[in-house]
Amino acid sequence: MQRREFFKKMGSVVAVSAVIPMMSFAEEAKKLVGPNEFSYEKALNIITSGKGATASPKVTLKAPEIAENGAVVPVTVEVESPMTESDYVKTIHIFATKNNNSRCISVHLTPANAKAMFSARIKLGSTQDVVALIEMSDGSFLSAAQSVKVTIGGCG
Amino acid sequence: MKIATKIALSLALLCSLSFGGEQFSMSDADRAMYAEMLENNPADLMVANGERLLADLGGSEALAKYLGMSEDTLPEYIAGFPRYMEKFKMVVGLDQVLQGMMHDAGKKPYKLKSPEMFDMLAFTKSLANDVKINIDVNANKHMKDAYALGQKTFDTKRGGRGLSCLSCHAPAVIGLILRTQPLPDLAVQNSGGTWPAYRMTKSSLTTLQHRFQGCMDNALLKVIPLGSPEMVALEVYVTEKSKGQAIAIPGLKR
Amino acid sequence: MENQSLIKIKPKKYANGEVVNVSFMVMHPMETGMRKDKKTGEIVPAQYINSVKFEYKGKVITTMNVWESLSANPVFTTYMKIDGEGELRVTYTENTGAVSQTSMKITPKG
Ligand code: HEC
Repeated sequence: MQRREFFKKMGSVVAVSAVIPMMSFAEEAKKLVGPNEFSYEKALNIITSGKGATASPKVTLKAPEIAENGAVVPVTVEVESPMTESDYVKTIHIFATKNNNSRCISVHLTPANAKAMFSARIKLGSTQDVVALIEMSDGSFLSAAQSVKVTIGGCG
Repeated sequence: MKIATKIALSLALLCSLSFGGEQFSMSDADRAMYAEMLENNPADLMVANGERLLADLGGSEALAKYLGMSEDTLPEYIAGFPRYMEKFKMVVGLDQVLQGMMHDAGKKPYKLKSPEMFDMLAFTKSLANDVKINIDVNANKHMKDAYALGQKTFDTKRGGRGLSCLSCHAPAVIGLILRTQPLPDLAVQNSGGTWPAYRMTKSSLTTLQHRFQGCMDNALLKVIPLGSPEMVALEVYVTEKSKGQAIAIPGLKR
Repeated sequence: MENQSLIKIKPKKYANGEVVNVSFMVMHPMETGMRKDKKTGEIVPAQYINSVKFEYKGKVITTMNVWESLSANPVFTTYMKIDGEGELRVTYTENTGAVSQTSMKITPKG
């Protein structure tokens, strides 16, 4: 039998502000009313300060070619990196390029992670490219992309 | 295939049907990705909640005691549901046993369709994870009758479209694509051993009987209530198809 | 409403210096603010997790900015190096301003 440790939420404790690094988009995002519309091109431009990113074999992006269901699409990103103080992956950004708000998640890592790998499930509104944009500790940007076909079923 | 074409036509009335098997068939790599998701199934949260709810009743120890057995034999026993129980004088599902246990403990039982019951059922069935389904439809007259009723309920055409479960889950149509969804083979899917499962389209935990209700709803068949003799019989019939396959709760479904 | 959450470490038994898989999962609707309620026809207000922070022995090891494109009942999986006994604490915030926390004890074997 499998016993799972169960941790209940402990309620509101700390005010989170200073501890979570403010997103580079925070100011941009504030200007938007209603849904967080934010194109991939715009995000890429802001994050890389217009430099753009280089597609790199060091970045592995795993997503299904055909999604069973657009509401739950598994995505895994792995980056080849020693994860030492002098050379590590600072941030893994994941984008759904055609979603209204293309930003899915930005994961800020530290050498304590020891391995530059992240996975989650995202929502895709339609067939589109999923992009992993990687910010390295030396300030360079790498990327990988994959197209995901979304078939939406309604019966059953 | 003549029969398949005929059924396909009647389905076409209900949903648009395409035979683009190729277009929608997933690669092995894709399938592997989804299989990996089982490792971190969101339903683990619901199962953990079910564990807490059962713990409030004394946990698996109290359940074993209620059933008059040792905790060691509990998983094998759980793997044989639905089963006839003298205590209830009928064939019951595991959720009904949990209701009985709550009742005897002087607690108001959770409704069969409540999320609490879904969670607790999932945890309780997960106690039998890796155990092979050992339902015995020939154990006694009650089980034989339930199996027969289940088969009848499965095969009988009802509703506005004149469909039965068999219309969509018969060997002749399995694999055809109904609105991008291949019609599943319930035996291959191990339906008896993989529900309660997380349904990605609903973002929630669903039980086997509730999944049946989903199909009834979609096919315009009158929805049969959870825990009713027909519903339990249907679970007996479908679970028998998975006999010998291992229980793996919570499942993860489209 | 109380959101249930869970931290899972794989493998279950780990030693000092080992790199383990850490998953944080939480029951949450991740409402985009664009979905209509089927019954009332009204737009369901946006409610989503917008940040997650992992702290191990009081030190921030991973932070995340999150948007509504993450699936409902999200699971966040990363890695970390086991570096002695201590608390692993996960704090998450929502766009509504709510802040929640979960923690577990890290006890390396051997
Ligand atoms: C109109 C066609 C149709 C009818 C009629 C129908 N089903 Fe289904 N059923 C489906 C489809 C399509 C799926 C797969 C849906 C998906 O993948 O999301 C399904 C899935 C299922 C599953 C889940 C399989 C698994 O993955 O474990 C079960 C169990 C099931 N049906 C039972 C029944 C029962 C019992 C009935 C009769 C009450 C029934 N179905 C009637 C089309 C149908």
